[in-house]
Amino acid sequence: MSEKHTIYGTNLDDVLEEAEQPGNVIDYQPGDTFLHRLNPVTKLVISLGLITIAFLIPDFRVGLVLSVLLAMVVVVTGVYRPIAKVLAVIGIPLTVALVVIQGLFYPENQTPWYIFESVPVFEQIIVYEEGLLFALLILFRILVLMLALLGTIVTTHPKRLTIALMEKRMPSKLAYVFLAALQFIPQMRQRANAILDAQQARGLDTSANLWRRATSLVALLAPLLISMLISTETRALALESRGFAREGERTYLFDVPDTTFDRALRWLMFACVIAVAVWRVIL
Amino acid sequence: MSLIDIDDVTFTYRTQSDDVHALENVTCSIEQGSFVGVTGPSDAGKSTFGRLIPSYIPNFFDGNLSGTVTVDGVDMRETTIGEQSMKAGMLFENPFDQLTGASTTVLEEVGYGLENLALPVDEIISRTKWSLELAGIEDLVMRNPQRLSGGQSQRVALASILAMQPEILVLDEPTSQLDPQGSEEVFRIVSNLDREEYTIVLISQDLTRLAPHLDRLIVIDDGQITHDGTPTEVLTDPTIEDRAVPVPDPVTIGQRLRSNGYVDETAPVPVSMADAVEELQPYAPTTRPAGGTTDGVTDGGAASADGLVANDVGIRMDDVVFRYNEEVEALSGVSLDLDAGCVCLIGQNGAGKTTFAKHLNGLLEPTEGQVTVGDLDTREHRVARIAQEIGLNFQNPNDQLFHNTVDEEIRYGPKNFEYNDERIDELVEDAVERLELEDVREKNPYDMGQPKRKRVAVASVIAMDTPIVVLDEPTGGQDAEGNELLGDLVESLVSDGVLVVVITHDVDFASRYADRLIALSNGEVLLDGSAREVFGQPDVLEETDVSPPIVTQIGQQLGLEKTVLTVDELFAQLERTSEASG
Repeated sequence: MSEKHTIYGTNLDDVLEEAEQPGNVIDYQPGDTFLHRLNPVTKLVISLGLITIAFLIPDFRVGLVLSVLLAMVVVVTGVYRPIAKVLAVIGIPLTVALVVIQGLFYPENQTPWYIFESVPVFEQIIVYEEGLLFALLILFRILVLMLALLGTIVTTHPKRLTIALMEKRMPSKLAYVFLAALQFIPQMRQRANAILDAQQARGLDTSANLWRRATSLVALLAPLLISMLISTETRALALESRGFAREGERTYLFDVPDTTFDRALRWLMFACVIAVAVWRVIL
Repeated sequence: MSLIDIDDVTFTYRTQSDDVHALENVTCSIEQGSFVGVTGPSDAGKSTFGRLIPSYIPNFFDGNLSGTVTVDGVDMRETTIGEQSMKAGMLFENPFDQLTGASTTVLEEVGYGLENLALPVDEIISRTKWSLELAGIEDLVMRNPQRLSGGQSQRVALASILAMQPEILVLDEPTSQLDPQGSEEVFRIVSNLDREEYTIVLISQDLTRLAPHLDRLIVIDDGQITHDGTPTEVLTDPTIEDRAVPVPDPVTIGQRLRSNGYVDETAPVPVSMADAVEELQPYAPTTRPAGGTTDGVTDGGAASADGLVANDVGIRMDDVVFRYNEEVEALSGVSLDLDAGCVCLIGQNGAGKTTFAKHLNGLLEPTEGQVTVGDLDTREHRVARIAQEIGLNFQNPNDQLFHNTVDEEIRYGPKNFEYNDERIDELVEDAVERLELEDVREKNPYDMGQPKRKRVAVASVIAMDTPIVVLDEPTGGQDAEGNELLGDLVESLVSDGVLVVVITHDVDFASRYADRLIALSNGEVLLDGSAREVFGQPDVLEETDVSPPIVTQIGQQLGLEKTVLTVDELFAQLERTSEASG
């Protein structure tokens, strides 16, 4: 492996761990667990593999098992806090909606599971078993998807992800777009707030009727896009001046190791998905 | 052969009509190791001139180029921007737009170009460290570039350019969007660069600060080089127009001394403050007044200066405290009564000033204390309601312009207030006239340069016809003419009985137009009085990183009894002293 480089006393490999975070809703959580150390591509492959399996097998218990396993990994790694927050915000309303809608209206509903008696207006409400099972299936599939991807996101520094992908021949321009988009979100939010302030300062009543607020949203988008375009010209020049258009070899400041273990894991995941797919086709 | 050769260059942007030229028959060569200043009015072609050197013209900007530009023997038509960036780097005006936008740390930002050049990691690290140190920002290495202040961001951009190790640096108004502290830092780095290694072309309006460092000053007006020579030659040239070039006070003083026969006419005219003080020294009073420099302040009391029409709507701040993130205290107990005239606020860093401005119309509500505008408590009324009493103009026009034409833009405020059509037309007409926007009325604000866009933003606030107007940094990046226009506007508003609050770091503007000057420091009111009183206490003022205007400082260094605000006052006092002693 390469020798250790340092900058102002910090090991180059630790820079991303100790650096200031951009302040997004879901940020990278610095750490040094086995999940952090895995190659980002491995994490992506495993996530996608598990999601594929959960979607291939139409039994909610598979999703349940995978979700429990993933949840355990996430808890052991200690990065569960931001994930729990996202799950609570998206998951709870989703669960309620799915259970109610599918439990009551799933087209293949036959077997009543629970009957609410003497409900006003409707007289009685029947919750069906088929609908509930279907809701659970969908829910656990989504849970697997969210846990796997969120687990990957919070344990992978975006910079490392792009380096790993570029080493797997992703074009550097695409990597730039990915990173710029991530950095862009907090910037946009800031800018949107500034514009909203300016509009209120010129007499826009934000608590007025819906029509007024809708038009103000349009008014917000225009300067947001225009100022983005203006900054794009300067940014394009700055990028050109730093060899953005240059083809060929490129140095990576940060080293993203890809170990034999990583490769083995990826092949294993791949084999599992194939196996499940074959099993599904044969059955 | 010179390092940079610009030979008979005429350039027209694709977006311009054919008979308008951004540059016209410009010929100029720049020797290696020289420090060249470029100045002139807004939209005169200064940036276009700068863009020739890193080959942005013709390699990025479309248009019609005739003549040749060669840098170090290479024709700019024969190179690419990437290649040329190792010879010439360019720093732009806006500190936030010129970073790559894809770096999560300053280290990556500065190293980005070097990674692309496929240099070994060792070399990248050593070059990055070298340029960070040159820019004096080693401590920012682990910061997120998106979360830096303007001054910090501008220095990161400079370090990123230096890391490519160019011999030439072109800086296009690098400080016009920075506060005084940020500007000072950038200027200091640039003027300290080793002149054997670097050739510097600096485009700026800030001649007072710039001129003492320059070997050569070029004036570009209307696409042509009108003056070219040493700063002294150019600034004392009788054909120089005030409109195009604001002559720094030390030069004006030197010229006066010569024409009045105090100093030999053949002696070189001083450009820096120190040289001006030295020339004036023999005419200064021999005994310095005892005690502080505030002695002998003659003019009237602080608050509402006499003769001003007091407004029936004022702003009252009662012990206002503002904390954000529950820890940082931006305002810590500010009590002020603002009622009439032009009140200038100086001496706060960027965040504190914006915080202050947003308190005035309720965009921010005080954590403790109370702000009342007229009889409205800002905590109890919506911003839209308070906006009918107070028009607030923000520092960055790009955040507040959102219409396709200047006319619609100005109409937006009055329309929100649901005035009748006749009144709206009248108000728009008046605002257009006051800011001299007649010929751009149907144009898109974003097709104009930043200084003019700023005027549109001011017009859109004036058109609301509020009894109070707040302007945040109206003069930043304006040329001499723009400054004059805004000054006239403030005066005419005041004479109409409008209370005008100007938040500014432009001490010359404050000195000329303020009826009352308030210096804020660490979230508190440090000084409050007339411009003369406030600038008369330089040692107290120092706490805010604000220096009095140059002419005032000269007077203070000479030990004059009274604080002077203009060159005329300076001479009047010197003559009085010499009469008294002679």
